[in-house]
Amino acid sequence: MKSVLILEDEPFIAMDLQLAFEDAGAEAAVTVSCDEAFAALAERAIDGAVLDVNLGHGETCEPIAVELRKRRIPFLLHTGDLDRAGEALRDFEAPIMAKPSGSDDVVARLFELRGTHETA
Amino acid sequence: MQRGDGGGARDTFDQAQQTGRGFSPEHDNFEGSSGLLFEQAMAQTRMAVCLSDPRQEDDPIVFCNKAFEKLTGYRQDEVIGRNCRFLQGPKTNQAQVAKLREAIRTEDVLVVELLNYRKDGSTFWNALHLGPIYDEQGELRYFFGSQWDVTDIHLARAEEKHAKAMAREVSHRLKNVFAVIGGIVNITGRAMDSRSVSNKINERVQALGRAYEPTLDEAAFGTIEVGQAIRSVLSPYDPEGDRFIFEGNGARTEPNAVSAMGLTLHELATNASKYGALSAEGGTIAVSWHHEEDRHGRQALIIDWKETGGPAITQTPTSTGTGFDIAERLLAYSRGTLDRNWEGDGLRARISLPLKA
Repeated sequence: MKSVLILEDEPFIAMDLQLAFEDAGAEAAVTVSCDEAFAALAERAIDGAVLDVNLGHGETCEPIAVELRKRRIPFLLHTGDLDRAGEALRDFEAPIMAKPSGSDDVVARLFELRGTHETA
Repeated sequence: MQRGDGGGARDTFDQAQQTGRGFSPEHDNFEGSSGLLFEQAMAQTRMAVCLSDPRQEDDPIVFCNKAFEKLTGYRQDEVIGRNCRFLQGPKTNQAQVAKLREAIRTEDVLVVELLNYRKDGSTFWNALHLGPIYDEQGELRYFFGSQWDVTDIHLARAEEKHAKAMAREVSHRLKNVFAVIGGIVNITGRAMDSRSVSNKINERVQALGRAYEPTLDEAAFGTIEVGQAIRSVLSPYDPEGDRFIFEGNGARTEPNAVSAMGLTLHELATNASKYGALSAEGGTIAVSWHHEEDRHGRQALIIDWKETGGPAITQTPTSTGTGFDIAERLLAYSRGTLDRNWEGDGLRARISLPLKA
């Protein structure tokens, strides 16, 4: 896994994840909204993604999750409130990492997911 | 024999008869002793009752009792002859009304909760019980309706719902706060080239966060349930859910005890992951808790920790580790203790925390 997309509106969490991915040898594009995430998807190849569910002002990561699913790119939902993740997101059956989770654990989980994705 | 309030019901019957709208006690076997009992029961019950006649145009009410008047604010003479929809208003749930109509159409028994309006325009939640009454020939004669004011139940439900929503919101925000703290600690650790230190800090901080998290929902009680906090603290050490065996009742403790308890359990679990039962395939830890009198005669919360299936212990470890030192010291501030016994098949530990009287 070389290139990762992070969708996260909390700066400290975003930075921590980005550094953790860099430690693991992956480059991470950090985006704070679905619009930015779509732009990132358009301009580079993405191997996997970590999506914060609630992006503030009622925005969720659902549109990006739909797009990633369409492109068969593996992703994790990273959220503090599963109940508010919404019905649509629950239907994705994407792996969920409950906040707070260690950033290294999040990285390891996504790599694991990528592994099963590639062999599947 | 005293008739008491029964007179009210008699008035109603008389009135109904006088208005000629078809309610006739004689014809409907409301005469004789059963008629008298019916009248008295109707007059005395606090449950609002009305009868309507579906054979008449628009199913008008032909009888109502005192409690109905009291509940709705309408007098009998304002009620008799009208379809009971006059109790509905702008905020009455039309889906519930549709159910009502359907039940009347199919002659079904139904209980619905409706927002109804009194004569003075004020509202009340009405648990309406509706059912058909047949005569001896099996012909539909009346619809029976009993109204019960359940406004207080609705209020309590709404308050409970609100409190739960608030607790969930607080819990969500707290999780986010702890996630942000985790980020800050990791970033700082990286920047200062002290990842091992920052990891340790983070593990402890996050254990604390987990220990407090289940307390939020219950903050109103003033105390927290020990079992929930224990499960929550230990959950990350047992992803498959088959390593810990929990045993305890609904014992509660003060929120203040949570930090020392949470951190101590975290240290025990970390130790078990490195050297104890969690480091070996199939090793398990029994965690139990209860209240008892401690050695000073105070009520205390006792948490017992029993590891089995780990590597055999041949001697008591000489170095106890800074984690346990911190835990013991923290417990001491709450006048609690941590006892550890390294037995052959695994560590036995006991956390004892006095409860404030």
